[in-house]
Amino acid sequence: MYERFSLSELNGEVKKVLSANFTAPVWVIGEISEINVHSNGHCYLTLIEKGESEDRIVAQARATIWSYTFRMLRPYFETITGQQLTDGIKVLLQVSVEFHELYGFSLNVRNIDPTYTLGDQARKRQEIIRRLTDEGVLTMNKELELPLVPQKIAVISSPSAAGYGDFMEQLNNNPQGFRFYTQLFPAVMQGNQAEQSIMDALDRIYPYEDFFDLVVIIRGGGSQVDLSCFDNYNVAYHVTQFPLPVLTGIGHDKDDSIVDLVAHTRLKTPTAVAEFILDGVAAFEERIDLLEQEAMELVETRFEDERESLEQLTREMSMLVRNMLGNRKNELMQLTWKFRQDTMLSLQKREHNLGKKLQKVGFLVNHYLFVRYQKIAGAQYLLDVSIPRSMVVMKQRLNDYIEKFGQLSQRQLEKEKHWMAIAAQKGEMSDPRNILKKGYSITTYRGKLVKELSVLKNDEMIATRFYIGSILSKITEINKSDKNDN
Amino acid sequence: MTTKKGLTYKEAITEIEEILQQIENDEPDVDQLSEKVKRLSSLVSWCREKLHNTEEEIEKILKEIEKN
Repeated sequence: MYERFSLSELNGEVKKVLSANFTAPVWVIGEISEINVHSNGHCYLTLIEKGESEDRIVAQARATIWSYTFRMLRPYFETITGQQLTDGIKVLLQVSVEFHELYGFSLNVRNIDPTYTLGDQARKRQEIIRRLTDEGVLTMNKELELPLVPQKIAVISSPSAAGYGDFMEQLNNNPQGFRFYTQLFPAVMQGNQAEQSIMDALDRIYPYEDFFDLVVIIRGGGSQVDLSCFDNYNVAYHVTQFPLPVLTGIGHDKDDSIVDLVAHTRLKTPTAVAEFILDGVAAFEERIDLLEQEAMELVETRFEDERESLEQLTREMSMLVRNMLGNRKNELMQLTWKFRQDTMLSLQKREHNLGKKLQKVGFLVNHYLFVRYQKIAGAQYLLDVSIPRSMVVMKQRLNDYIEKFGQLSQRQLEKEKHWMAIAAQKGEMSDPRNILKKGYSITTYRGKLVKELSVLKNDEMIATRFYIGSILSKITEINKSDKNDN
Repeated sequence: MTTKKGLTYKEAITEIEEILQQIENDEPDVDQLSEKVKRLSSLVSWCREKLHNTEEEIEKILKEIEKN
């Protein structure tokens, strides 16, 4: 016959044995696989232990941190480790082993040693780093060439993060006025979903690999804790394999995360990332400015040299020309001298010829003049001898004429005188007084002689003059006929 | 002088440096020199333009990416 227990008796015995053997709290290492903070402030955990291969759980236990303890332990742990008390991390806990008849086995957490977690993280990091190194991918992203001018930027960030705003502000309000093209690929940047979310964002950028110049992973502002997603192998591996350079600005002061380590360039804050990009672009512009300036100076020097050699040539040229001109001048002077000599010779010859000709002409002229002279002398003789002689003859004749004329005139005068006397006699006869004496009368009308009757009218007065006396008569009848004379 | 399409900053600066090198070595004669300098200036201007001014093409692509 064997002893029988009720369940409560059995649980009670187990509890007794456990209490007897675990009189004081013990330190235990476990990985948090689940953690829940109840509204009453108590924290309920599931602790596990994994086997060598990491994918098999070899032990599991429930644990509780009562609210009073949890309120102290949590800040303590997070301050020292820089990360949240969350699932997936290994912790060293001081626990009392408890067994409750109804709820069974559980651990009551009294204390926590954050240095263990720190060490474990470091070890894990080292493991990941070693793995990435072994796979030959650790520095792959660093080996990518950073574009000269990164203007097209894919940003992985939480859209609401202050760090994202800082980054955009810094980049777009740059004083040099550089133009940037950014595209946000939103991701959750902390907590359990962060790992997958960041990898998804990288996958969304991947198709535009040719378009973007680089990828920026930024975080910042708000909680500075929980960077475990950046110490993650998968995220780190993704970054190393990414075909574009990845810049990080995750915003923490502690050791670099693995993502920082494998990223092309690690910067502390999003603002620093923006500055880094701006510096690169500014450096490029400075470089082209310098190159241009250098080129311009070189060209200026070159032109200066050209100008100088041209001036040198000009100087040489003008020397040459001067020499040539000098030679020509000499030649010309010689020619001139020769010409003058020749001309003089020729002139002398011509002069000689001319002299001969003049001699000949002179002879001819003299001869002609002599002939003329002879003729003139002849004429002179005529004037001096012949003319005065004929003048005497002419004078004689003229005197004869005058004498003859005088005689003739006397005779003529007498003839004329006789004729004049006869004419005087005749004139006396025709005097009107002599006619009136004979009985004729003269009739006048208004002082004018009346020779015809047409000027007279009846009752007009006419005057009639006689040899002695005159009368005035009035016309009573005019008879124009010649027949009624009397 | 037109700059060929699809030129990159790297190609531009490489050509600029090449031209500068040629000038330093007195390679181009005076006539070629002014052509070279023109080319260099146009490359530098192209870079400056691209650094400071918005390219419609890129804006368009960005909008496409945002839609997806």
